[in-house]
Amino acid sequence: MTKNEVLKSWVEQYSGPLLKRAAYLLSDKVEAEDLVQEVFLAAYSSYDSFEGKSQPLTWLTAILNRKAADFYRKKYKSDPEIRLDHFFDETGSWKNDGVLNDWNVSEKEPELLDNKDFSKILEDCIEDLPSRWKIPLKMYYLQEKKAPEVSQELKISATNLWKILQRSRMQLRECLDINWFTNL
Amino acid sequence: MLRKFIHILFLPCSKATMLMEKRNAKAISQKEDWQLSMHMKICKWCRAYEEKLKILDDILKRKLSQKENTEINESDIQGVKNKVLEKLNL
Repeated sequence: MTKNEVLKSWVEQYSGPLLKRAAYLLSDKVEAEDLVQEVFLAAYSSYDSFEGKSQPLTWLTAILNRKAADFYRKKYKSDPEIRLDHFFDETGSWKNDGVLNDWNVSEKEPELLDNKDFSKILEDCIEDLPSRWKIPLKMYYLQEKKAPEVSQELKISATNLWKILQRSRMQLRECLDINWFTNL
Repeated sequence: MLRKFIHILFLPCSKATMLMEKRNAKAISQKEDWQLSMHMKICKWCRAYEEKLKILDDILKRKLSQKENTEINESDIQGVKNKVLEKLNL
């Protein structure tokens, strides 16, 4: 097959999975569509470096991750300022006792995600995070929690990645607490 | 009062919760690990938070590795295909 034929078959086969992943990462359909186009343009121009050692989709997904990181870096040039004063007072102690609420999930936890209502609330809580935190959080979990890779790709310092994860998770904890666990 | 004093001396909760992220990712230094352990001994708030952190981590691990956005439909995919094929002149 010629290069053009191969590319054409890739576009046919892999546009779907790539678009779904891009939309998931960026939480924006239009930006995701642009990103997937960029992925195929990049794949076309660097086709010679694809040696067939990996599956085409794996290779294309790696390009997609890099492009998503580029997108993030362009959008957020400076390091984020992450404020914790919603949760902690000036001495760094918890401002309220909400964190002590009993979630009481130990046995039920594996089934939580099967619960459609919970799943929906979790999705909403995640999507409510600012995208400059959400993208690193998603990449962190997509890449099996390899923090050095994520901070390198996004060009954020290791410390900032910890802070982003910390801040996102504190917010998710509160969001789930209010909308699910203490609302049953 | 004593609680506040100890927190400032060892580690404030605002910092402890960040070290929990590092520990969770196995990227914590020995010294930080020790500091965090000391903190956890005296702080029921952070102990309560850590329990929830484990639940959250577990839930997120399963949720965020699903890798898919369900709002994408066939016509979106077809639209992208057409644009790419046109741009690449295929």
